[in-house]
Amino acid sequence: MSHDSPLAAKRILVVEDEYFIARDLERALRAADAIVIGPVATLEQGLDLAETQELDAAVLDVNLAGTRAFPIADRLSARSVPWTFLTGYDDWALPAPYRSASIVAKPFHADRVIRAIGALMPDEGRA
Amino acid sequence: MSDSADPPPRATMPEPPVDSVQRDAHVLAGINRILREALSASTEEDLGQLCLEVAEDLTGAAFSFFGEERDSSGRLDHLAISERGWAAYRGSDPEFSQRKLPNGLKIHGIFGEVMIQDRTLIVNEPASHPARVGLPQGHPVLHNFLGVPLRHNGETFAMFALGNHPTGFTEREKAIAEELAPAIVQALLRKRAEVASRASRRRLLTLIEGIPQLVWTATSDGRWTWASPQWVTTTGLSVEESLGHGWQAAVHPEDRDAAHAFWAQAGDHGDLTMEGRLFHAETGRYRWYKTRATPVRDDHGAIIEWFGTSTDIDNLRRLQDRQETLVAELQHRVRNILTIVRSIFTRTVEAGGPIDEISDHFRGRLDALARTQIVATQTVSGRVDLENLIRDELLGVGAIEDERLSIRGPDVTLPADTAESIGLAIHELTTNALKYGALRHATGRLAIAWHVEAHPNGKCELIVKWDETGVPAMPVPPVREGFGTELIREALPYGLGARTELQFRGGGVFCVISLPLPAEDVGQLNRSAEG
Repeated sequence: MSHDSPLAAKRILVVEDEYFIARDLERALRAADAIVIGPVATLEQGLDLAETQELDAAVLDVNLAGTRAFPIADRLSARSVPWTFLTGYDDWALPAPYRSASIVAKPFHADRVIRAIGALMPDEGRA
Repeated sequence: MSDSADPPPRATMPEPPVDSVQRDAHVLAGINRILREALSASTEEDLGQLCLEVAEDLTGAAFSFFGEERDSSGRLDHLAISERGWAAYRGSDPEFSQRKLPNGLKIHGIFGEVMIQDRTLIVNEPASHPARVGLPQGHPVLHNFLGVPLRHNGETFAMFALGNHPTGFTEREKAIAEELAPAIVQALLRKRAEVASRASRRRLLTLIEGIPQLVWTATSDGRWTWASPQWVTTTGLSVEESLGHGWQAAVHPEDRDAAHAFWAQAGDHGDLTMEGRLFHAETGRYRWYKTRATPVRDDHGAIIEWFGTSTDIDNLRRLQDRQETLVAELQHRVRNILTIVRSIFTRTVEAGGPIDEISDHFRGRLDALARTQIVATQTVSGRVDLENLIRDELLGVGAIEDERLSIRGPDVTLPADTAESIGLAIHELTTNALKYGALRHATGRLAIAWHVEAHPNGKCELIVKWDETGVPAMPVPPVREGFGTELIREALPYGLGARTELQFRGGGVFCVISLPLPAEDVGQLNRSAEG
């Protein structure tokens, strides 16, 4: 287990309704030594984990089979858990409060997601 | 022939003082009458007749006319013939008897001298005047003539002429006529200016009331001073209700702050623009309008009032919104499907095998996705018929529906993303059956059947059953660890909340997919069942 990874031992929530994308994310996060919470496909499941699990960060697909993942983002923000959106939408298509959020555009490369989540994490004296 | 061509200046005329004062008073009264009448005369001809009547009364002439050169053409149009003139006519010309003014007369003869030589002319022996050209048929015999040019900006543009003084015209009549001349010109021009301004006002009003915009005027603090009929018709507010700040009643409550801000800038800016909703009385809802206001300035540049228009942009905005939604959804779908294709590609390659086989597998999966996409984008609803989905997949690999293959179930349509996953699952099962199962062996049979089950809790499930029989036992079930197995066992439950069962039995594959159907999809089902 590499302790060089900024995500090492971090608990990362994954909410993504496409099975194969979710599995790819899971695999990429595990390869970066993160602990994956989920992945889950629905708003209800995502909200449940966002409220009950100890989390360091989250990756959220914006469109969950037609419903928007914004309530999960709000819930996480209320708990000061940083998150990034994973979406096929351009930022202009998002509601105004979320336009300045961290966004990884689909189709994505696993490295980009890992870097985006890394950028959300505090340094915790690893200088 | 008159010797009046070079009259002595009027001021030196030997006139008895009393007569002169009396005469001046009469002339003054006549001038007043002409100028007053200029405002109330209904036509130029009426005004002209009045001028001629005054001139006849003051000079004692028997008849007269008033003419104007048409656009420096050398032709004269009649503006008026006096009542006495019409009455004196003895001819049979029907146009004359209908009081149709003669127009386009060549400027010549005795009257022509007045225009051409640009001077007042007295002719007391017209019969022997060198310029005489004769009289029109029916014209009363001309005993004597007094013609006066009418000038504007130094140019002679018209004239009036008096005929048949009982004793011949003298300097006295000439002086009276010349005093009347400027008043007649002024009266005519005033009349014309008024007619032009009225016509221009009418044109402007017709324009303002004819355009689709709502038009209004206001003071700099946004108090309306006028509203067009379109405003009244559209908002249902009367002009009286809209004046002052009354118009705000038609503004959507959420846009009233913006309307205040709009007028707050009126001091600083030349033009104001805002978009806001106005009440639309006909439909009882608010519509979006683009409102512009332009200042009307006086000669010194100070703002006198504001002229405003409100243009209906509701349809435009709705189309824009709709377009943005469509573009966003399209982007989302395209990017999502690319991401899925990428994942499928990775998995297909990871499964290993010869490159031809990998290539075939990947192409088959891509085709299955493409088929669903095509069907989904061909219908307005974006929904895919389950039976077609299954049939297309099987017929695509050359399977024939006979006693060995049955495809049966009620009409069910699926949303595009569900159809995508189910389509892929059917593709994987079909490929497997073709390579190792019921579609490969002559003894094999395949029954595909589906139905909708209503549960006591009010929820519905679509149950699709794939049942192969008669396949000779296989030593190793090849699908077991591949992409298809993961798809059916993991992906369908994950993404669609389905319950799945996949068995590699002796005799062939048995697979059941139980898919929860959203309430609206069941509604769809009922409708299609009724239909």
